[in-house]
Amino acid sequence: MSQDIENELRRAMRAIDPPADFTARVMRNLPPRATVTAIAAARPAARPSLWTRLSAPVALAASLLVAIVLGQHMATQQAERQQLAGLEASRKLMQALRVTSQKLDLAYEAVQRPPPVAPPAEENRS
Amino acid sequence: MSVVNLQAAPDDSSSLLRLARDGNAAAFEALVRQHQASVFSIGYRMLGRRDAAEDLAQDVFLQLYRRLDSIETLQHLGFWLRRVAANLAIDWLRRPAPSATQALDTEAELAAPEVECDPLMTRALARLLGELAPAARAVMVLRYQEDLEVAEIATALDMPVNTVKSHIKRSLTALRGKMIGAQLVSSEELP
Repeated sequence: MSQDIENELRRAMRAIDPPADFTARVMRNLPPRATVTAIAAARPAARPSLWTRLSAPVALAASLLVAIVLGQHMATQQAERQQLAGLEASRKLMQALRVTSQKLDLAYEAVQRPPPVAPPAEENRS
Repeated sequence: MSVVNLQAAPDDSSSLLRLARDGNAAAFEALVRQHQASVFSIGYRMLGRRDAAEDLAQDVFLQLYRRLDSIETLQHLGFWLRRVAANLAIDWLRRPAPSATQALDTEAELAAPEVECDPLMTRALARLLGELAPAARAVMVLRYQEDLEVAEIATALDMPVNTVKSHIKRSLTALRGKMIGAQLVSSEELP
């Protein structure tokens, strides 16, 4: 049956002659040869290759991919930098608090210490 | 423009190509006559309309005239014409035009060579072929009208060999199914 269909297809698809005046019309529509040569020299193939047709979308996709990867990388780096800066600020704050605490301790001790007793100088004069 | 005696050497097609490249209009006309049935038929089977097929064939031969210098041999010429015709037809079918396709059997006045076959089956097959997708239709036309090999079709249509094989297999299956549906054959006839 497959062979039958293929044979039927071949029969159904016999070449068909165009109208009688077809060739004459083709010849009438031809441009001058000099124009043709100039156009042919200036124009590449009628149908570009698959690579030519896909190169622009592929390049665009690759650029987008690179941009996304670079963006992610830069965002990660910035986050790391911010985290380090935060840690440094935290460390400095803790240091400042420690220093302040020590100073306060000293001040507290100074306040709590009893004042020195002054000598009774007035009594000796009288 | 010089006149060449084409009747004196009707089989000397290589010299026709050379003369056509040199700008000889009579030689180019002879080349057109040699290939016009093939190009017109590809257009007709692909587009389903006689006027569109004529326009397409005109366009193909105009492109040939512009690119004659790049045609190396007659074999190359034949292949180039089929390739350009099929790809141009696919492009036209993919263009959003309201009159892109039409049933093939509405053009009953087309003259075809007389051979013994079932005219009903022939017309139905032609109509069913017109229902295939453009790329699949081009594959079938190049395979069964132009008798090209699978590898040649793959090159002409710029598609992988396996895709061509797949198109042929699927199209034959679809055509078989549609023929059963149209009661052109009975399911008992199938393997």
